[in-house]
Amino acid sequence: MIPLQYYLLLAGILFAIGAYGIMTLSNGIRLLMCVELMLNAANLNLVAFSTHINDVSGQVFALFSIALAAAEAAVGFAIILMVYRLRTEIDIENVKLLRW
Amino acid sequence: MVDYTALLPIGIVIATAVIVLLTGLFIEQKKILGYITLVGLLTSLGLVLKGWDLNVAFDSAPFYGAIVVDPFAQIFNAMFLIVGVLVAIAALKAYGDNPRQDEFYSMMLLATVGMMVVAMSKDLLALFIGFELASIATYAMAGFDKRDPKSIEAALKYFLIGGLSSSLMVFGISYIYGLTGSTNIDTIASVFGANPGLATTPAILLAMVMLIAGFGFKMAFVPFHMWAPDTYEGAPSIVSALLAAGSKKMGFAAAFRIFIVGLIAMKVDWYIAFMILAVLTMTVGNILAVVQTSVKRMLAYSSIAHAGYIAVVFVVVAYDPAPGVAVIHAMTGGLMHAFSHAIGKAAAFIAVAAIAYMILSKDGKVDDPNHVSNYDGLAKRAPMTAFLFALLLCSLAGIPPLFGFTSKFVLFLSTIEAGLVGLAIICVLNSALSVYYYAKVVMRMYWGEPKGEAFVESSTYTFVLAIAVIALIVLFMPLPGMVSPGDLVYQWAEVAAHAVTGV
Repeated sequence: MIPLQYYLLLAGILFAIGAYGIMTLSNGIRLLMCVELMLNAANLNLVAFSTHINDVSGQVFALFSIALAAAEAAVGFAIILMVYRLRTEIDIENVKLLRW
Repeated sequence: MVDYTALLPIGIVIATAVIVLLTGLFIEQKKILGYITLVGLLTSLGLVLKGWDLNVAFDSAPFYGAIVVDPFAQIFNAMFLIVGVLVAIAALKAYGDNPRQDEFYSMMLLATVGMMVVAMSKDLLALFIGFELASIATYAMAGFDKRDPKSIEAALKYFLIGGLSSSLMVFGISYIYGLTGSTNIDTIASVFGANPGLATTPAILLAMVMLIAGFGFKMAFVPFHMWAPDTYEGAPSIVSALLAAGSKKMGFAAAFRIFIVGLIAMKVDWYIAFMILAVLTMTVGNILAVVQTSVKRMLAYSSIAHAGYIAVVFVVVAYDPAPGVAVIHAMTGGLMHAFSHAIGKAAAFIAVAAIAYMILSKDGKVDDPNHVSNYDGLAKRAPMTAFLFALLLCSLAGIPPLFGFTSKFVLFLSTIEAGLVGLAIICVLNSALSVYYYAKVVMRMYWGEPKGEAFVESSTYTFVLAIAVIALIVLFMPLPGMVSPGDLVYQWAEVAAHAVTGV
């Protein structure tokens, strides 16, 4: 039986990697992957807590959150595809029509 | 046997969304779908207004306490449906000839469903699903003009920040779940209420930071606001109306439920954070709004400032040591201000859409139809639109003959009642500053040199603006010989405030 802390630590590391990627990367797809990584860190937390306290609702939450992440990714890829069609690149550093 | 009639309003909106989506596949003349949307939304709105004081909890299968219909949920439902009606009428004009308008209407209805689910949820799972339903639908709507690079850029920024905010939110929720063993907001409140010692553990602090950041992105608090002006400016104007008036209020509905109901026992952890966020949000929002040259972007920043005013509710509710009249007034004022801002800001964005439409159809190619120089002398070129837009700006600024004044007054009054005089002064100074940039637009409309001949005003857009302005005036005015509608909204918000704060 692996103690709960290890799962939380793993989730924390995954979350940190995702957050670091969001702050440093500029490719649209990579940013999307980083968001997914952060979401999956949260799912891992939910499942770990759920087994730890012997309550199933955390796992249900994780299942719903996976399904929602898939729906979100579908819309996200569609938007990134439109960016690609308009600009033939998906580097968001160059997407800067709207500035103050 | 449980009575499910309280869920009829949301059921009607879901059914309308499905009907519009499926009918759109088979018919050529799609304009009829806009009217179907309107009928669905108006029926639902009628039922919500009729059952404004319902208090039904669905504790048994199939909901297991995840959904509750109380006055708090109903006042937000009414807000979302009113915004939906305004946007749907404007869409009749804006997308009347668009071959993909069925998608627009069904996504708008689904976004409304998501917002209503958030307002009615009593469980973090239901809340999260509603949140994502509304978010995913609005991501797609922000990029609806897919040939327009600005619209796509708005959608891209909104999507990335939205995804980030929902992952922060789930991470925070996962820790709350780990600490309490439940996702039900009432259970969470009772577990935290029984263990006040938890307030100093690192886990709850982590959860709190994640939740505040997650919701802060959605409600566009400074410093989580960077996406909001870009998205509101780039998205089609009527979608910006839905985002600023609907989607943002959904963030508040969720945050009120989670912080004021679920985490009230942990208030020492979050109320200072909200005080700093509220002051920063209103100040930065107002100062940046002053320097804008695009009217649409100015409205976006003013929307941020208004989020700051509403955030004052969190501070007052948590600050008051003996919860009493100040807490109720703060919550009532917050709900009323959300209401007046929803109507005023939705209509103001629609007015921007109307003016941009007139400029583009008459003056031909202009760089930025929303630039403030295009508003010069608008009162002579389009008198009705200019007059109604000026009144909407007055309501947003909080000038008396309109409902925006009443709501702001109740909200700011509560800060003084709670003894937060410093905060009250900051609020009032900010409100005064905001008059400057609203008045600047009105000045240019009425005293500027007209740049061309008169426009033909679109009757659909004028109709939407007229409804909104009449609503804002009627809600303010006392009517002779009968109860004024403004008092009814006040009572409604007060009942909702009692329901949500439990005072």
